[in-house]
Amino acid sequence: MNRLRINPVVLIIINIIAPSMYIVLNGRYLQYFLLAFASFVLILMKRYKRIIGMIAVYGAMIGIHEITIMDDRTKFIGLFFIVIAQSVPCLVLASVLVTKYNSAELLSALETMRLPRMLVVAVTITLKYIPTFAREFKLIKESMRLRGIAFTWKKPICSFQYFVVPQLFRCAALAEEVTAAGMVKGIDAPVKRSSYFEEKVRWSDAMIMAVFMIGLAGGFVWQIHL
Amino acid sequence: MADTPVIKAEGLSFKYNESEEGIFDISFEVMKGEAVLITGNSGCGKSTLLKCLNKLIPTITEGELQGKLYINGEDYAKVKMYDLNKEVGSVFQNPRSQFFTENSTAELVFPMENYGMSKEKMRQKLGALKEEFGLLKVIGRDIFTLSSGERQLLALASSLTMDQKILIFDEPSANLDYGNATRLGILIDKLKTQGYTIIVADHRFYYLNGYIDKVLFMEQGRMIVFESEDEFKKSGYDTRSFDLFSLGLPFNNAKVVGKDIVAELNDISYKGIIKDINLKLYKHEVVGLVGSNGAGKTTLAKILCESNKPDSGKVIKSTLPFFIMQDPDYQLFGTSVDNELSLVKNDQEKIAECEEHLGLVPYRYKHPFDLSGGQKQRLQIAMALICDRDLIIFDEPTSGLDVYSMQRVSDEIVKLKEHAGVLVISHDYEFLRHVADRIIFLNEKTITDDFELTGETVNRLNEIFNDMASLSA
Repeated sequence: MNRLRINPVVLIIINIIAPSMYIVLNGRYLQYFLLAFASFVLILMKRYKRIIGMIAVYGAMIGIHEITIMDDRTKFIGLFFIVIAQSVPCLVLASVLVTKYNSAELLSALETMRLPRMLVVAVTITLKYIPTFAREFKLIKESMRLRGIAFTWKKPICSFQYFVVPQLFRCAALAEEVTAAGMVKGIDAPVKRSSYFEEKVRWSDAMIMAVFMIGLAGGFVWQIHL
Repeated sequence: MADTPVIKAEGLSFKYNESEEGIFDISFEVMKGEAVLITGNSGCGKSTLLKCLNKLIPTITEGELQGKLYINGEDYAKVKMYDLNKEVGSVFQNPRSQFFTENSTAELVFPMENYGMSKEKMRQKLGALKEEFGLLKVIGRDIFTLSSGERQLLALASSLTMDQKILIFDEPSANLDYGNATRLGILIDKLKTQGYTIIVADHRFYYLNGYIDKVLFMEQGRMIVFESEDEFKKSGYDTRSFDLFSLGLPFNNAKVVGKDIVAELNDISYKGIIKDINLKLYKHEVVGLVGSNGAGKTTLAKILCESNKPDSGKVIKSTLPFFIMQDPDYQLFGTSVDNELSLVKNDQEKIAECEEHLGLVPYRYKHPFDLSGGQKQRLQIAMALICDRDLIIFDEPTSGLDVYSMQRVSDEIVKLKEHAGVLVISHDYEFLRHVADRIIFLNEKTITDDFELTGETVNRLNEIFNDMASLSA
């Protein structure tokens, strides 16, 4: 079986709905459901390494939570970690979105959701900045090593500053350059954008959406019966 | 209507906000099918003029714009940016910022999508572009894995997707080796004969020799128009760059004394990129490392810096080399010029001396990121001057520098060899002739030539450059 290609729109919608459900649904239920759901989606996409990574990170956080929650003095750490652990499945799905789809595909997907053009462009650029950031981060770290400016925990603020300040300047420069690159290629043209990568909503997409919705509905049922 | 210029400027001026820089009272005409060179030193206003031509000024860059600009007889002020860019294709200076997406196919279809072209039409156009520019190997790839020559082709192809007939290039040669630049020149000539109007802004133009119809020479924001390439060549401006190999530069001929080895590579191989490299680098010597884009020059430097660990072989050296990367923005960490230098070595006396010598005193309290390109380069050289390392490596130190800045950097690099060995990776022939005592040619994964650069051996260097031009042509 080939890797299932999920329509990016489905992943975007899930990523918008899932975190906001913590407001209305029982946290514990939603947490387990999302973990199971994310694993299910990743299995369909054959992203096995990512499943292992997700479960490892999730497990570690829950572990820290369980240990620290026992003592009143460390309780705050536990509470902090449980909040982060809850967002792990969503973050993993979001990471698939950013790394496995190119910005043109994301742009088309967002366009089909009929969001305003400028918002779509801004969101796309932001999403695409993440891998760029990772690349730049590596370069800066390498160049710090060559300069003999090591990252040291003895001087965390100073070290952090060496990391962040060049990033901020790059960020400002990149933002301007990317805007220019988009503008000279007609990103502001007031016509309906077409898409080379547009994907039709397939059965598999509908199924995934259905599983997601049934899971959420299950949460409500569970809540009522409790 | 045959005589209507495709582009016409009348008393065009632009002044940036909070700066005295800009362009002033510029008038010129460009006719259909002409190849026009805009040249002048860094900061002369070339890029500003190009931004006016593709309407980035005034659309996203703020400032005071005056005068008139026409495209095919129509006033720029009345043309919307998205309509203008269906006529004018832009190829930017920096290949990293040129692209909006990170996949080559996505990049090629991006403008067509923006203008709402049907999928069928996009497929046809994509096929045609693939054919015309030989993009078969480029399609569907991550742009970051492309070579600089391939990126240039992609940038060019993507700026022609809407059948633009006017093409503007901003310093296209800055990131190209000699071979790729020569090929770009040939391609520009071909486009010209197909009826495209070409406008190139660059301070190096050897690759355009014989192809230019008009030269717009700029100096401090003002323009002198030369109606032909010959007229420009006769003008007495620094036009030597048209013929690289005829440069009458003296040779250093300084025999290296003492032969102190600063770094040694023995039988180094790395990931199939380089193989069986043997190399000794000496103190008081400037070595020019040449080779085509992608030959493994930077890889070799990174092995010397321990950034890449070789698969086999041995690296012997006394200290970690001081590596000056191509893009200074990754390498500056200080809060001011003074602070940046003291991070290298906290020797106030030496820092003051260095700043004085390199003309950095007026900027000593400025943030390194606020400096211009040339000033950043000088700051990096100051860092190299005060560091205690035995080997200093430069990766393409002159890309984007005009002739004067290049000469200045050359003088400083020659000075560096008083206390260290210097390795420069470069495809800038003029620069290499200024600084190099010895040339190493990296070709087909290994060092195929290694010689001292003298009057007798200069032909070997010329041959290497000619080889690079014909390689992978």
